[in-house]
Amino acid sequence: MTQWHLVLFGLAAVVAAPLWAADQALPPGYAGSDTCKICHEDIYNGFIKSPHRTVDSEAQHGFAGRGCEACHGPGQMHTEGPSADNIRNPAKLTSAVADKMCLTCHLNQPTHIGRLESSHAKNQISCTACHKVHASEPLVVRKAEATNQLCASCHLNVWAQFQRPFHHKLPESDMSCVDCHNPHGSIRPAILQSFASNEPGCFECHGDKRGPFTFEHAPVRFEGCQACHEPHGSANPRMLIRANVRFVCLECHANLPAAPVKVAGVVPPAFHDLRSPVFQNCTVCHQKIHGSHIDRNLLK
Amino acid sequence: MKALLIFLLSLPVLAQQPVATPATTTGDAASPIPATEPALTGWIDLGYRWGTGVAGSMDTYRSIINLGSGPKLLGTDFTLSDPKHRWFDSIQVRADTWGDEPSSSLHVEAKKSFVYDFNADYRDFAYFNFLPSYADPLLGQGIVLDEQSFDTRRKIAAISLDIRPGHWWSPYVGWDHDSSAGVGASVFVTGGNQYPVPNTLRDSTDLYRGGIRFEKPHFHVTLEEGGTFFKSDQSLFQNPGSENYGNVSSPVFGQTLDLTSLLAAYGIGGSSAYSKAFFTATPTSWLDIYGQFLYSQPDSNVHFQQTDVGNLYLQSQILFYSSEQELILAASAQPHTTGSLGAEVRPMKRMRLVEAWMTDRLHDAGSASSIDTLMFPGSSLPLSSLLASTLVTNYSQESVDVFFDASQKLTLRGGYRYVWGDAQYAFLPPAGLVSSDHEQLRQNIGLGSATYRPTQKISVTGEAEGGASSGVYFRTSLYDYQRVRAQAHYQPLPSLSVSADFTLLNNQNPLAGTYYDYSSHQESLSLYWAPSASKIFDFQGSYTRSDLKSNIGYLDPGTLSQQVSRYRDNSHTATALIDVNWPHSKRFAPMLAVGGSFFISSGSLPTSYYQPEARLRVPLNAHLSWFSEWRYYGYGEVFNLYEGFRTHLVTTGVRFTR
Repeated sequence: MTQWHLVLFGLAAVVAAPLWAADQALPPGYAGSDTCKICHEDIYNGFIKSPHRTVDSEAQHGFAGRGCEACHGPGQMHTEGPSADNIRNPAKLTSAVADKMCLTCHLNQPTHIGRLESSHAKNQISCTACHKVHASEPLVVRKAEATNQLCASCHLNVWAQFQRPFHHKLPESDMSCVDCHNPHGSIRPAILQSFASNEPGCFECHGDKRGPFTFEHAPVRFEGCQACHEPHGSANPRMLIRANVRFVCLECHANLPAAPVKVAGVVPPAFHDLRSPVFQNCTVCHQKIHGSHIDRNLLK
Repeated sequence: MKALLIFLLSLPVLAQQPVATPATTTGDAASPIPATEPALTGWIDLGYRWGTGVAGSMDTYRSIINLGSGPKLLGTDFTLSDPKHRWFDSIQVRADTWGDEPSSSLHVEAKKSFVYDFNADYRDFAYFNFLPSYADPLLGQGIVLDEQSFDTRRKIAAISLDIRPGHWWSPYVGWDHDSSAGVGASVFVTGGNQYPVPNTLRDSTDLYRGGIRFEKPHFHVTLEEGGTFFKSDQSLFQNPGSENYGNVSSPVFGQTLDLTSLLAAYGIGGSSAYSKAFFTATPTSWLDIYGQFLYSQPDSNVHFQQTDVGNLYLQSQILFYSSEQELILAASAQPHTTGSLGAEVRPMKRMRLVEAWMTDRLHDAGSASSIDTLMFPGSSLPLSSLLASTLVTNYSQESVDVFFDASQKLTLRGGYRYVWGDAQYAFLPPAGLVSSDHEQLRQNIGLGSATYRPTQKISVTGEAEGGASSGVYFRTSLYDYQRVRAQAHYQPLPSLSVSADFTLLNNQNPLAGTYYDYSSHQESLSLYWAPSASKIFDFQGSYTRSDLKSNIGYLDPGTLSQQVSRYRDNSHTATALIDVNWPHSKRFAPMLAVGGSFFISSGSLPTSYYQPEARLRVPLNAHLSWFSEWRYYGYGEVFNLYEGFRTHLVTTGVRFTR
C-alpha cells in the first residue's frame, strides 16, 4: 500500500467517524454506504443511479444505509485497514457463491423460475457476467442490439449462424436473443421462452402455426419447430435444415421399416415419382405442413 | 401509424423545449438523481436512404433484405425523468426504423418505484418470401413461381402493467397481440393436378393475462390466469372465366384438366384458457426448491367452404367432374399439462446437488365432417365423410447434477438424466396411410463439465454429454449421441480480449432401416482490441468455421429403390468492425467505422453472402451530428443462379442529441 493510500484512508476515517457515531442503526461490523462513498465515489455515484439504489434507500431489504455491504459484506474492517483482502469482492468468488449473494434477494422472483436447471447456472455463468451491478453500464441491457452483443460475446457459434442469409432478424436489431430464450432459466429445452403458459415461444410471433389442429403434424408437437427449421439461421430457404424440401420430409417419411425400434412417420410406400419436379417439393401439395384443420394428408 | 410517426418526429422539437429549471428541482434532496440533470435526455436519428437498384433477383432481395429508399426515422431513444417523482420516475421511449421499413419497433417504459411498472412494445415486420427453389414445380418449363409465397405484414404488440412492484404482493395484468395480413400464392390440390392460385391471409391472436406475485424473503409464489383468442381467415380464389391448367399439363385419360373458378374460404376460430402457478422457496440455508404447474386447453373450430369449377378429376374413383361444392366443419381440443419440481441441496460448502423432474403431457383430439358434392352435366354425386384423430404425447425427464468446487478456481460437474415418454396417434376410420401408431422414448444421458478460472482474466469451460437410447420418436431424433462444448476467454491486456468457442455433435442411429450418421462441429475465434481506451481506434472481429455431415437412408417413393439422403454444409463466416476516431480538434471529431460480414459455404447448397459496410459520423456541435452509411449486399447460389442479387444502399441523416 502506498503512502498516498494511507493518507487517504486516514482522511476517510476522520471524516467517517462522526457518521458512524450518528448512525446508531448500523449493526456491528458495518460501515455504511456513506463511508464507502468517501473512497469509492465514482462507484457510489453510479450505484445510486441504478435500480439497486433501493437496497440502500428502502428499509424492506434490510440494508438501508449500507447498500454496498449487502453484496460486499461488513466493511468496517476494510475502512480500518483498506485492503482487498478484508472486503468481499464478488468478482473473485466462485460463480455459485457470487450468485448466492444476488439470489438472496432475487431468487424468489418469477423470472428466475427454473434457474436451478438453467444451463447458465449449471455452466457457472454468474449473474455478474451479464449484469453490471455498479451501473457504469446499464444493470439490465434493454436494447436488442446491446442484448445480442452481450449474448454473442460468449455464443460465438450461434451469432455466426445469424450471418447466414435466412435468419431471424437479430443482426438487424429487430429482435433480440431474449425474445426466444430466458437467460435465467426455463422449463423448456434450450431455455426457450414459453407462450401462453406452456407452448413453445415460437408461437408468440407465429400464432398462425399454433393450432390446435384437427390433424396435427406430430414433429411440431413432439420435437418442436427445430425438427425442420434452423432457428438461428440457415443458407436454406425458410431456414430449413436441408437444402431441398423433399429431403426434409423423406428423412422421416422414408418408407423403410424401422426395427426393432418403432419410429413415427414411416408410412408404407406412397408412389410419388421424384423425377418429376411436381413431386420434388412436397410442400407444393402438402402445404399445411404445420398441421391441418380439415385434411388428414395436410393438403389444405 | 401516421399519427405515431408524427408523434415520434415531433420528439426532437419537444426535446428543445425548456424543461423545469434547476431552481424548481433543487429542493428534492431525497432524489438519488441529481435534480440539476435535464428532465429530457436522448437522441433521434432522421435520414434518407437511397438504393442503387437490385441487380439480379428482386424477389430474393425482398425475401432477405427488403430495405427500400425514402425518408426514414432511423431510431430514437430518450428518457423523460421527473426529479420530483410525481406521476413517474422516468419514461423511456425507444423506436427503430420507421418509414416504410421491413421492420419497425416502438418501446415505451414508464415506472414509478414501488408503485407501478408499465411496458408497451410494438413491432411490425414485413414478411416477404418468394424463393422458387422452395416450391416451384414449373421451373423446368422456364416458369419462375414460388407456389408457396407470402407478402404479408406481421404486427406484434405487448402491454404489461405491474402494480406495486417490489412489494411483497404485486398484481399484474398484460395483453399480447399478434396478427398478420397480406397476400400470397398457394395451391389448390385436386386429384391428378395442382393449381397455383392467389391467396389472402389474415390471422390474429390476442392473449389476456392477469396474476399476482407474492415475494417474501424465503419464498415466492406467482399465480396467473390467462386466455387467448385466435382467428384465421384464409381464402384461395380464382376469378370465373380464367383458365388455369395447373402444374400437370399432360392429359389424364385423354382429357386436359383445368380450373376455371375457385373460392375456398377458411373460417377458423379458437380460444384457450390457461393457468400458471410458480413457486420458489429457500426453507433453509442449504436448500432451494422450486416448482411450476402449467395447464392450458386450447380449442379451435373451423368452417371451410369451397366451390370450384373446371374439368376436374377425382383420382380415387377415376371420375371427371365439372364442379364441386364442399363444406367441412371441424373442431379440435388440446389439453396440455406441464409440471416441474426441482431442488438444490448444499450438503457441504463445496458441493451442490441439483435434482429436477419435469413432465409434459399433451392430448390432442379432433374431428372433421365434410359434405362434398361433385357435379356432372345433368347429375351430381354427394360424398360425405367423418374423420377423427387423436395425438397424445407424454414426456418426462428426471435429472441429477452434482457440482463440486475443487478449488476457488475449478468447478467440476457430473450429471445424469433419464428421459422417457410415449406417443401415439390414431385416425378413424382407418384409410390409406398408417391409421394408428405408438412409439416410446427412452434415453439415458450422462454428462460432465469443468470450469477453470485461474484468474479473472482467463476462463475455460468444457462440457461433454453422451446419450444412449432404446426408443425415439423419429428416425432423425438424437439416438446414440455425443455432444461437446468448450469455451475460453482470455484478456491478456485491459485493451485486448480473445474468445474461442467450440461445439461438436455426433449422432448415430445404426438400426436397420435407418442408418443415420450425423456429425457437425463449429469453431469460432473472436478478438476485441481497443488500444488507448479506443481513443484512436478499436477493432472487433470473429471467424467461425462449421462443418455438417448427414447421411440417412430412405426408400425412393417412385422407384422403391433404397437411397441415401446426403447433406453437407461446410461454411466460413466472419464479421469485423473497426472504429476509427480520426485525428481531430475539439470542434471536429469525425468517427469512421468500416467492417461487415461474409458467409461462404460449400456442400449441398453452395452459397455466398456478403455484407460490407462503412459508416461516418461527424459531430457538428454538442447537439447535432451528421452521419452517412454505405452498405452492400451480395447474395449468390451456385445451383440456383437466378436467385442471386447484389445492391448498394446509402443512408445519410442527422442526429439530434439532448
